[in-house]
Amino acid sequence: MKQSVEKSKVKAKRCENKYKNFAIASVLILIVPLWARFIPGNLIHMDIVNVMALAGIYSCAVIGLNLLIGYAGQISLGHAAFFGIGAYSVAILSTRYPGFPAWLGIIIGAIISCAISWIVGKPVLKLKGHYLAMATLGLGEIGFIFFREATGITKGTVGIIAIPPLSIFGIVIDSDFKIFYVVWITVLLLMLFSMNLIKSRFGRALRALHSSEIAAEAAGVNTSKYKTVVFVMSAVFTAVGGGLFAVFQRYVNPESFHFSVSILFITMVVVGGLGNLWGAVIGSIIITFLPSIISALPYWFPFMPESLTNFGNYTLVLYGILLIVFMIFMPKGIAYALEISYSSALRGMKRIRDRISAMRYTKRK
Amino acid sequence: MVLIIVTLALKKSTGLQWILSGLTVGSIYALMAMGFSVIFSSTRVINFAQGEFSMLGGMLMYTFSNRAGIPALYSFILSVLIVTLIGAGFERLVIHPLKKPSVITIILITIGLSIFFRAAAKWIWGTDTLAIAPFSGDKPFKLLGATLVPQSLWIFGFTLLTVVLMFIFFNRTILGKGMRAAAENPEAATLVGVSPPATSLVAWTIAAALGASAGIIIAPIKFVSFDVGVMLGLKGFASAILGGLGYAPGAVVGGLSLGVLETIVAGVFPSGYKDAVAFLVLVIVLLLRPQGILGRQEKLE
Amino acid sequence: MSGNGNNELLKVEHVTKLFGGLAAVNDVSFTVNSGEIKGLIGPNGAGKTTLFDLITGIQRPTSGKVYFKGIDVVGMRPDEITSLGMVRTFQTIKIFEGMSVIENVMVGRHSRTRTGLFSSGFLLPRSRKEELETFEHSMRILEMLGLETRAFDAGTNLPYGQQRLLELARALACEPEMLLLDEPAAGLNPYETQELTQLLERIKSDGVTLLVVEHNMGLVMNISDEVIVLDYGEIIARGAPEEVQNDPKVIEAYLGSGIGNAKG
Ligand SMILES: Nc1ncnc2c1ncn2[C@@H]1O[C@H](COP(=O)(O)OP(=O)(O)OP(=O)(O)O)[C@@H](O)[C@H]1O
Ligand SMILES: [Mg+2]
Repeated sequence: MKQSVEKSKVKAKRCENKYKNFAIASVLILIVPLWARFIPGNLIHMDIVNVMALAGIYSCAVIGLNLLIGYAGQISLGHAAFFGIGAYSVAILSTRYPGFPAWLGIIIGAIISCAISWIVGKPVLKLKGHYLAMATLGLGEIGFIFFREATGITKGTVGIIAIPPLSIFGIVIDSDFKIFYVVWITVLLLMLFSMNLIKSRFGRALRALHSSEIAAEAAGVNTSKYKTVVFVMSAVFTAVGGGLFAVFQRYVNPESFHFSVSILFITMVVVGGLGNLWGAVIGSIIITFLPSIISALPYWFPFMPESLTNFGNYTLVLYGILLIVFMIFMPKGIAYALEISYSSALRGMKRIRDRISAMRYTKRK
Repeated sequence: MVLIIVTLALKKSTGLQWILSGLTVGSIYALMAMGFSVIFSSTRVINFAQGEFSMLGGMLMYTFSNRAGIPALYSFILSVLIVTLIGAGFERLVIHPLKKPSVITIILITIGLSIFFRAAAKWIWGTDTLAIAPFSGDKPFKLLGATLVPQSLWIFGFTLLTVVLMFIFFNRTILGKGMRAAAENPEAATLVGVSPPATSLVAWTIAAALGASAGIIIAPIKFVSFDVGVMLGLKGFASAILGGLGYAPGAVVGGLSLGVLETIVAGVFPSGYKDAVAFLVLVIVLLLRPQGILGRQEKLE
Repeated sequence: MSGNGNNELLKVEHVTKLFGGLAAVNDVSFTVNSGEIKGLIGPNGAGKTTLFDLITGIQRPTSGKVYFKGIDVVGMRPDEITSLGMVRTFQTIKIFEGMSVIENVMVGRHSRTRTGLFSSGFLLPRSRKEELETFEHSMRILEMLGLETRAFDAGTNLPYGQQRLLELARALACEPEMLLLDEPAAGLNPYETQELTQLLERIKSDGVTLLVVEHNMGLVMNISDEVIVLDYGEIIARGAPEEVQNDPKVIEAYLGSGIGNAKG
């Protein structure tokens, strides 16, 4: 009995640490609008709160995708379609039925995504590697073509305009400031859920099947079930992001759900760090800020030659290079690099503590 | 097949027209499919940048023949040569140094490459749709009641030539035979003296050349712009899957049938849905062909 | 139909596996009784690993039946078979990458725990309790195998011999009634092999039935109650260790292959 108390203390300690880091990160993120509003816009030529809100929206999708790719090792090149399902659900419901609560639209989008990803996921996830990549890509494109061609429902390439704002408990979320908080509280909740999940039986099963499906099955994990569940989960997270995207932009058209957006999500996962939960958030923030930074550069450096200031063109070239460079030289992403440099000392301490407690525990036996 | 017959019966000339147009684009898909298959069979890598080889081919052709005024034949050779060098260079610089890369790594790296090419092309050539003059005039002629542009003949001829060359390479040359053996059994191939690294380089070189020429010969019919590679690549891949990802014959059958199917669907349904055909075919074939395509990747021992 | 003898735990009936034309396993029948240790030997390529795959659901036999505790397990998923209490290890070690030693063992508890998506995601008390139990159970197993000091190291960082033990630990975490071990002593030094022998005896005395593939003749002959010899997918001999060792057909098979006895 005493030993179990000892061990639970060890465990509790580790958990505490995890939540402490989570709390610090949350505070850092949530105070962004408080300081950002004091920076005059004409000084930096970008709206930090607005871009951060968009980064948060992408984070929802990227956290889900990271669970799928980084933890379970299953690739999807079609998640933009789930993003689209989330966004169009809100857009269609709230423009067709005036007064339809947008938050309910987000939930309905999540449910539709859940259903579709379940139906599709079961057979598709039998495929592996390249075949899985291509099949999900194909499905994603079918989704895109549907958004583009089903003009009766989606208004096609024209898109759906004048989406009413989200309102929660009677508060109308009509400014970047407000939407920032709605988005980031959602992201933090998803993070918390994922953090708990990863350290649990469920998360271990995912990581195990990533490493070897056969060994995971032999250890008792129903791999096909777990792959489907994590696929569905990532689709739901992505749809929630899509729903928020609709009430953030107040306008949707198919371009926002193209194959290139699936790739954008994946770039975020990779740059942040495959299999690193905070990496998803960091990757989303960096990649979302990239175009804004690039287009602000000419203002920051006014004496640059004209040809170099037309940075809009660089953005995509940079994405491509980033993807290659990160995969080759930094496959664990930025979050990992940050982790080592910032908390190597902290981790070392924890490791020693764990060892000591394990040793102490042995001696007692 | 049934569809073809039905439409033929319905309206003979329209049906033939559809089939001939279908075979024209289908030939291009076949060339693309061969590109995918060559790399995949010898290295188990799907090159997501295959479509960009075509785009680059078309763009370079435009620059050389329309801008620099170089005769079509020389422009063609020059463009294919440059793209081939790019393909080979990428294999040497990026793919080759990776030791046992995971599937995800390879997918993301080749996707990164395709994004890079696309963005670079947009930067260099802009977003305009560019036209290239047909190789020998654009006066349509009649064939059994269907109208055909001369470029179609170039496309058929070139595809046929390529298939023959590929056949000779993989069945008559030592390197080609070795590569085929390597695809079936890597260890045995090492014994006969074909090293996997060499195989990989040759495969990428061939694939880039195939991609570039496909992109060039279709350009006079479909025009070229920085983003044509995506669809061409995806349809080429769908054809390759349809044909079973083997060497030439499967790819040709896959490409031609996809081309015809697509043209018929475009004729019958709203044409916006045309592109969905390739993806539906892709997904359905992937799901329904368990042999070799499904199955466990991990092998015990 | 199959569970006649009440201590017949595993029953393999006329199992055959064809790879193209090659019969990797050819009409193999045998039973393993509760509480015994059965050795399975044979030269390289004899079909031992394939037979394990067929029994544990990783591959499906071309024909034949496999009963575990009287239940027909052909066509069941490997994880279902594991949940029934028949657990295997792999000849090529399959430690989960990126997971600590203790986590590797905790995966082995999967079939004996229930926490699902929501209770772990929302960290319900039930899941915390179960997590703690899983941790403690796994820790006890690591102690039994002497791996507890490495509990928080990455599994793949262990030396080879300890990785073999970790595989065993993971299998034990499933609380198996029957263990199928594929060359557990491969790559171990004599000292480690000695320890393994004792460990297997102990596992047996805890009531676990064992089917052991092994090239180390000393080990097999030492621990097995009965030995089955496989060659070219067929059983060529079976019986008590001493009998089998002196069976001319067995000697012939090993000499013929020229490899197996070198390890023995
Ligand atoms: N998936 C497969 N496809 C084709 N042949 C296979 C396959 N798996 C195994 N074989 C063949 O079946 C035979 C039996 O192989 P198996 O691995 O079961 O032998 P083993 O007795 O475990 O040998 P070892 O002592 O070397 O581990 C071998 O000839 C092997 O080449
Ligand atoms: Mg074996």
